[in-house]
Amino acid sequence: MIAKLAWKNIWFKPLNTILSVILLISSVAIITTLILVEKQFEEKFTKNIDGVDLVMGAQGSPLQLILSSVYHVDAPTGNISYDSAKVWMQHPFVEKAIPLAFGDNYRGFKILGTTADYLEKYEAKIADGKIFENNFEVVLGSEIAQKLSLSVGDEFYGSHGDAAEGHVHEEYIYKIVGIASPTGKVVDNLILCTIPSVWQMHGDHGATESENLSHGEEGHVHVEGDDHDHHQDVTIDEPGMEITAVLLKFRNKMGIVTWPRIIAQNTKMQVASPALEVNRLFSLFGIGIQALQYLAYGIMLISGISIFIALYNTLKERKNEFALLRVNGAKRMQLTQLVLIESLLLCIVGFIFGTILGRVALVLISNSAEQDFKMSFNPYEFLWNKEGVLFLLTIGVGIIAALIPAIKAYKLNISKTLANA
Amino acid sequence: MISTNKITFSYNKDQVFHMPDLYCEAGSTILITGDSGKGKTTYLHILGGLLKPTSGAIEIDKENMLALSEKKLDKFRGKNIGIVFQKSHFVSALTVLENLEMASWLATGKKNSARAKKLLEQLDVANQANKLPSQLSIGQQQRVSIARALINEPKVLLADEPTSSLDDKNAEKVIELLTSLSKEYKAALVIVTHDSRIKEKFINKITLI
Repeated sequence: MIAKLAWKNIWFKPLNTILSVILLISSVAIITTLILVEKQFEEKFTKNIDGVDLVMGAQGSPLQLILSSVYHVDAPTGNISYDSAKVWMQHPFVEKAIPLAFGDNYRGFKILGTTADYLEKYEAKIADGKIFENNFEVVLGSEIAQKLSLSVGDEFYGSHGDAAEGHVHEEYIYKIVGIASPTGKVVDNLILCTIPSVWQMHGDHGATESENLSHGEEGHVHVEGDDHDHHQDVTIDEPGMEITAVLLKFRNKMGIVTWPRIIAQNTKMQVASPALEVNRLFSLFGIGIQALQYLAYGIMLISGISIFIALYNTLKERKNEFALLRVNGAKRMQLTQLVLIESLLLCIVGFIFGTILGRVALVLISNSAEQDFKMSFNPYEFLWNKEGVLFLLTIGVGIIAALIPAIKAYKLNISKTLANA
Repeated sequence: MISTNKITFSYNKDQVFHMPDLYCEAGSTILITGDSGKGKTTYLHILGGLLKPTSGAIEIDKENMLALSEKKLDKFRGKNIGIVFQKSHFVSALTVLENLEMASWLATGKKNSARAKKLLEQLDVANQANKLPSQLSIGQQQRVSIARALINEPKVLLADEPTSSLDDKNAEKVIELLTSLSKEYKAALVIVTHDSRIKEKFINKITLI
């Protein structure tokens, strides 16, 4: 009955409380979005570097090397000679080395030359068809297959470089031989083929040789010698070829510590640690996220004050009602309860709508991130511990805001109130 | 049945009110009159258990109300005392019927909707049951507050200037309803008033001086 009365009181004069609820909704929404984005973002980033101790690539920004070769969200730093990379790939310290050659794209999805180890590293199985074996056979990431509704047996031409609008390579046609299982990692948004496919695509231009030279883009695989037969497929043993990066997993962990220096001193390449670079990235993001969080807590504080003012004002108006309830047999505690429940109801309403709004915001963020970075967020995930703390915090704000009005209701002098009415 | 014995009350040391003793049987009526500032409303609040007197005793249905703890007094008040105020107060967010139900729930823990409807019927405001109190006329509001005062079948019905804001016709009707219903529900009716229109209607009178 008290709760019902509290509920009716809230909606009787909704303008008194609407500001408080709006403020509360916005702060809860911001915090919910931040919590989810931060957690899922970190999760996605760290999930992708599992099993990669170091990345070897052309000299330049180590963060760029990691972003381009592990996450595929940045341009590559340049190319490295496959022959000199091979020396290090076959080093006894190395447990597994996965070479990557960046090639073309198909409708904005990157076509990546690599080996079968790449799929294995991301725990992607071949859900349909088989693994690529010959040149121009490709395996599609699960999301691409779904989005472009492609299936095994389909064929397509690639566009040059990163941009979907790039020059279309019509010399060779890619044939889909397999589709990978979903992993929730970058591989879902990649088209995988053999490294020689990438070489052949860019090496065998023949008539368009001059155009080939003018590509000039960093990180693009070009072939230095073009003296091979047009009708014979390029193989992995082709000499003098270039690749973009190598993902390294070490058997001997000493290598992780010593290689960055050794490689930098002895070669024109660099190695970067994904864990280190990603941490650096997070700490950069962290400042922004923290600032937003402080802002959201500030809004929550204001909403608490707003609830307090609303309750305090209505208490003045409703003094007579409270006295009347006491005359009708209500205990002091019941009036205190009434005030507290009203405040808590506002907070719960605020929390529920805030949580929903936060997730709507996440869907919007997810849609734009999907387009720009091939990264999507899951709005249906609930982080019980963090969102639970947020809920308790909201309830806490409600209790504190209601404290003084509730005490006032408890101490109400019935006789005086009614005599002065 | 209500009776008082040597009640005194003071807001401060200089002014002490000596309230005359009163005795009222169930079903009968007593009038408390007197000029403004003589403590009429104070007396009514003391009788209603809203104000604690400095000394004295109040017996309602053979129970000394002043000996009760505060919590028990709240319950006792809700159950045994019905009060009609000069100006009607309602919980404005609740409808007329819900106001009555709330009064019965607070006192007894049960919503007595049947009696609430019956009372509204008797007071000729049944068709207003689902309206908000603010939508009613003052006369109707006064009748609803009588209904609310009677919802728990109290032993004592207190009325504080119940007619002061009403015209002659409505005042007469309210007085008639109060007396007839207090008889029906076997409540002792105590009316505090300075309204000359109703003074002559009653024999039982106490004048505060």
